[in-house]
Amino acid sequence: MASVTLESVTKRYEDVTAVDNMNLDINDGEFLTLVGPSGCGKSTTMEMIAGLTKASEGDVYIGGRNVTNLPPKDRGISMVFQNIALFPHMDVYDNISFGLRLRKYDQDEVERRVQEAADVVQLKGMMDRMPKEMSGGQRQRVAIARAIVRDPGVFLMDEPLANLDAELKVHMRTQLQRLHRELDTTIVYVTHDQAQAMTMSDRIAVINGGVLQQVAPPLECYNEPKNKFVAGFIGSPAMNFFHGTVTDDGFDSKYMGMQFDPAAHGVEPGQDVILGVRPEDVHLDYKKEDADDPSRTYSVVTDVLEPMGDEVFAYLLFDRDVEAGAEGRGEGQILISLEPDTVVGEEEDIEIVFDRENVHLFDAESTEAITHSIQKRAESGTAD
Amino acid sequence: MADTETHPDVEAQQQSQEPELDRGFFEAYAAKMISNPDRAYRMAFYVATFFFLVTTLFPFYWLAMIAISGDNVADVGIFTPATPVELGAFIEIFTQLPFHRFVFNSFLIATVATVIVLFVASLAGYVFGRLRFRGKQPLLLLVLVTSFFPPAAFFVPLNRLFNTNVDVLRPIMQDGSLYNTPYAIFLPLSALFLPLSIFILMTFYSQIPEGLEDAARIEGTTRLGALFRVIVPLSAPGVATAGVLTFISVYNEYFFSSLMTDGRAENWAPMLEGVLGFRGQFAVDYHLMAAASIVAVLPVAILVVVAQEKIVSGLTAGAVKE
Repeated sequence: MASVTLESVTKRYEDVTAVDNMNLDINDGEFLTLVGPSGCGKSTTMEMIAGLTKASEGDVYIGGRNVTNLPPKDRGISMVFQNIALFPHMDVYDNISFGLRLRKYDQDEVERRVQEAADVVQLKGMMDRMPKEMSGGQRQRVAIARAIVRDPGVFLMDEPLANLDAELKVHMRTQLQRLHRELDTTIVYVTHDQAQAMTMSDRIAVINGGVLQQVAPPLECYNEPKNKFVAGFIGSPAMNFFHGTVTDDGFDSKYMGMQFDPAAHGVEPGQDVILGVRPEDVHLDYKKEDADDPSRTYSVVTDVLEPMGDEVFAYLLFDRDVEAGAEGRGEGQILISLEPDTVVGEEEDIEIVFDRENVHLFDAESTEAITHSIQKRAESGTAD
Repeated sequence: MADTETHPDVEAQQQSQEPELDRGFFEAYAAKMISNPDRAYRMAFYVATFFFLVTTLFPFYWLAMIAISGDNVADVGIFTPATPVELGAFIEIFTQLPFHRFVFNSFLIATVATVIVLFVASLAGYVFGRLRFRGKQPLLLLVLVTSFFPPAAFFVPLNRLFNTNVDVLRPIMQDGSLYNTPYAIFLPLSALFLPLSIFILMTFYSQIPEGLEDAARIEGTTRLGALFRVIVPLSAPGVATAGVLTFISVYNEYFFSSLMTDGRAENWAPMLEGVLGFRGQFAVDYHLMAAASIVAVLPVAILVVVAQEKIVSGLTAGAVKE
């Protein structure tokens, strides 16, 4: 059990900065997930914690000890890899006991610990199998047993579920959470899958372009994203964004507007802002009581419907003439999620309302969040 | 075949049935091969294999025939030994000369050289195969270039060097020089056969997934530990190949080994010096040379049979999930 601290850690390769001045405190016993798109530096960050890569600048502390210049074996960590990385020339027992044998534990102790670790991940009776004789899930469990058998202070996981099939992935997700509860060890988990990050972590650290964007509990990242990147990355399907300007009495963009008091939200008329709203915070007009604070109604046209079973994703256009964006959502397009029993067809005129309680505003230039809900103008009294 | 309007060949081709021609054996066989090319390929394979086996194994067979023919080498037939058959040569080679000592010399030198080459080439192969660093390509090219030098080019300076009396060596060596010691043989030979092994091992080591090395280092090895505990065992076929090649080359080596010693068994003269030792001033004991050659082949033959297991076993299968 140990805490992990990164102090202005930077990793530069010849001409790229993979990780830029990262400061991160991971508490003892915490399940922290590093999440971000491919190539954002999350794996490099983990490798620096593990000691597989040396930081160009800054210090890494594990359990209060400066380990920046220590090799991986002396850092008191263990790791589960994306490609599982079991030693193919050793059977399960030898794989799990590899680290213990290197550290010259006596025979009985090794046997006892391997047995314990194997029990935790339910690997009884497979001790003399070779990795190639096992299924993907079994191999992954062996890898986890190998990691927990040494009772490490910090447990690093680099996309351990990425190579498993969908069903197994969900199953292993709950297994890992149970494991964390049982072991009570610090776990640092790397993934590009925000669903895994949301479901398992105590806190998530969103990274983009080598820069730490936000470190917060999953729901905080979801409800109060610090900037536009976090807002767009966390949550699936992603948030709708509208680029526009602040007017004297609210927000105006090419296709939509919204009324509020600029002063009350710390914005000035003329300022370029981005308005963001999640698909689940947009409701059909006749169901506007679902919204905590419904906005005025907007007339839109349905474009494409994607029934998912438990909900329906509807791509809407503000105008029949709007071109659907070739890549991503265009300005005049909005994605909302509807209840599965909603009766609506494609290319139909419908009316929607936004839940103003959950409308986010971001500064267009810095992309920093300005507010996470829009208040009614106090004195006006009338619904806009 | 009565129709005179069409050409008989064309007509013959149009027939679905094989015409009942009176063909000889080879003609019939050729016809079958034309209609079924696979037969031709298989035939070619058998013929090639047959010639290869004959050219490699027949000299060995003849060697055996000469070895059991005693003095009457002139009476040895193409396939039969001279009569009476005498097996005494296989004992005589150990009494007339200490041939076992010559074989032991070569065997020991080859073993030491193989161990040195595998160890050094493992380190070099790891560096070239797995690390990225400035100047890697030029350095690799340099290794390649050195391996192109004819070994004879190194001989004169090395011979001068090994014949020089070095005071530092005086307590270990009799007269302070490396001449007539095994060091004078396996040092240059190890260096000469190193580049080949470096290239073989580099290729093998570079194919071991990076994750395995990382896993070993996390579990508690150093980089070197990961090399010898994980990468080398997984590259067993490559290590065996490099080892066998080096061993055979050094074991059979004559140029350096004969010139760095005075040709006497107690002075670490190699096996080939022993074989040639049965050639006197006035007579050549061909049957003894033949017997000695057969005995000398045995260690290498045994080694290859043992290493074969490693070479063919695919240890890396299913190493990492694709």
